[in-house]
Amino acid sequence: MKLLSFLPFLGKTQKPVVRKQQFLAQKISRRYCFTAVTLFALQSVVAVTGAIDLVIPDLPSPIPFEFGRAIHLGLADLWPLIGTMGMVYYFITAELDREIYSPPLARWQYWIVVLFSLAIFTSLSFKIGNGREFLEGLPVLYMGICISLALASYNLIRTLFMVKNNITPAAAVMTVGIIFLLLLLLPNTIFYSNPITDEATKFWVVHLWEEMAFELTSAGFIATFYVVSGLADRAKVEKWLYLEASLAVVGGLYGTGHHYYWIGFPAVWLVIGSLVSIVEVIPVGILVHMTYKGLKSKKNRSRREKLTLWLLLSSVFYHITGASLLGLLITIPWVNLYMHGTYVTSGHAHLALFGTLGFLVLSGCYYILSRGSEPTLKGYKSGVLAVILLNVGLLGMASALLAAGLKESYLWRYLGMDFEQVRLQLNLYLFIRALGGAVFALGDLFLFWLICKTWKQTKLPKR
Amino acid sequence: MRTFLLLSSLSFALFVGIILISSRLPSPMPEQAVEGKLVWQKHNCISCHTLFGNGGYVGEDLTNITRKETPSQIVNYLIKPPVVPPNKYTHHPGLAIKDAQNLVHYLEFISTIPTLGWPPQKEKAGKES
Ligand code: HEM
Ligand code: HEM
Ligand SMILES: [Fe+2]
Repeated sequence: MKLLSFLPFLGKTQKPVVRKQQFLAQKISRRYCFTAVTLFALQSVVAVTGAIDLVIPDLPSPIPFEFGRAIHLGLADLWPLIGTMGMVYYFITAELDREIYSPPLARWQYWIVVLFSLAIFTSLSFKIGNGREFLEGLPVLYMGICISLALASYNLIRTLFMVKNNITPAAAVMTVGIIFLLLLLLPNTIFYSNPITDEATKFWVVHLWEEMAFELTSAGFIATFYVVSGLADRAKVEKWLYLEASLAVVGGLYGTGHHYYWIGFPAVWLVIGSLVSIVEVIPVGILVHMTYKGLKSKKNRSRREKLTLWLLLSSVFYHITGASLLGLLITIPWVNLYMHGTYVTSGHAHLALFGTLGFLVLSGCYYILSRGSEPTLKGYKSGVLAVILLNVGLLGMASALLAAGLKESYLWRYLGMDFEQVRLQLNLYLFIRALGGAVFALGDLFLFWLICKTWKQTKLPKR
Repeated sequence: MRTFLLLSSLSFALFVGIILISSRLPSPMPEQAVEGKLVWQKHNCISCHTLFGNGGYVGEDLTNITRKETPSQIVNYLIKPPVVPPNKYTHHPGLAIKDAQNLVHYLEFISTIPTLGWPPQKEKAGKES
């Protein structure tokens, strides 16, 4: 025990504070958030194993790489989904200052989404799947996720109808986001023989979930949090929210074009994809500006708010860099022609999906689970340490991937060298990626540990 | 608020419309190619290979593989899978002969889909010859 005492985690990390009355929906949202964080911890362990599998030849593994990767991709979408469901319930209740339409329905929804997600991961580990990238599980299981999303949509719409004249923009935007998640997943529960349609529909989840639906739910959270923590005043936030929501819908939808360049679609998509993608970036710029001004204005915050902010600011950072700027660069058709389908894509995918959405969901989940407590100095320090490790790991991993991708694009795509030969030259980069992944996983486990302790401490006695 | 909802539903409807128009196939898909697509999905080939550049990065892009190798070469590879370098023992996943044949039909069909000049190195090879 002594040996480990340099770790700030051991000992007391949280102290209780009095909390205001809590709605049932906010209590239920805790289980969503805790499940999301747990699955995230599982993901980085699976991922590091996969990354090591890629650099050590003949590594024995109970699950072959192709199905391990499928589980990793399944987790990448599903834990942010579960976390988002919790966040939406929590922050809609906070925004409207009232209970949701039906808390029991929210409980059912939780069990359905968790059971079907676990069924997807279990069946994949027995090599049973449907082989569509990011949606590798059996289609029926995604039907289950749809049912859960349908319950959520119904519950939220009824909630909004109950308050009719006092619907706040953030509440409405989050609800629309959840409905879009449902609408976009539904067409992915059937079999397409046409490979073009198949590919096009897949991006409704791969692109539109992240760059439209989650963008809406995230915007709702950001708006609520900025008002609560005094980063910006309500009027300003709501102006941004309207702009962000409209641009996310229009830009997000037609921006899907940047995935439709080479899949057999007509050339007009090259134009749509590249021009509309520019629109996607605008609201992020304004968000950065607003955040910057907010940070300069108010100085003293509670440690809990500060830790939430560290996570949220990480998200904003990757939103503007890894997602928007890098995304825009690879959207240019002449660039995309060469780097499409190389490790550059993987670098962007990690920076954007985890960097932007992952950090944001973690930030919301931490905020929700730590309600009614305040980190001790020790707890705060360990949280910051976890955030630093996650960032260092992610940056290490992504830079290695981008470097590998650039080399791959040049040698294979541009010079036309043999693929196998080029791949053997990428080993060093993939090794560094695995190292970065290990640091990342360490940060992930630290954060998970801290959140576990917080969760235990803030648990309310059963009523 | 109402404007936002209207905007959302209209853009979405239009979007679905153009996608349906855009995804027309250059020629009808043969029965065997459809069977082959199911084989492709069942064995999760996409985790290591790309089609149209979308998929995993471990293996080569297979969009135009049938232009580089003959059907019997590919079928043979799949029914008697060799060791994949840099491994010394681990083989490529294998298929039954019927599945392998259907799969080749699917890949042949894929290579007939026009991809606007992607992948780029194929274009270069074309210019040299
Ligand atoms: C939060 C925002 C974003 C997330 C979560 C995200 C996520 C992803 C993911 C997961 C992929 C990989 C898809 C695959 O493997 O097939 C991808 C690819 C891509 N993203 Fe993003 N992205 C975001 C923002 C953007 C933005 C703002 C742009 C452009 C302005 C962009 C442009 C692209 C392009 C062009 C590709 C295709 C790469 C290729 O051709 O292989 N992304 N993105
Ligand atoms: C410990 C950290 C992680 C490691 C070591 C890792 C490793 C990997 C590996 C080995 C692949 C397969 C790439 C290939 O086919 O060659 C992959 C793909 C992917 N991972 Fe991760 N991953 C990590 C964390 C994450 C997180 C946290 C997310 C998102 C929440 C994520 C999202 C993705 C996505 C979207 C892809 C597909 C990329 C593409 O198709 O371009 N990963 N990752
Ligand atoms: Fe995208």
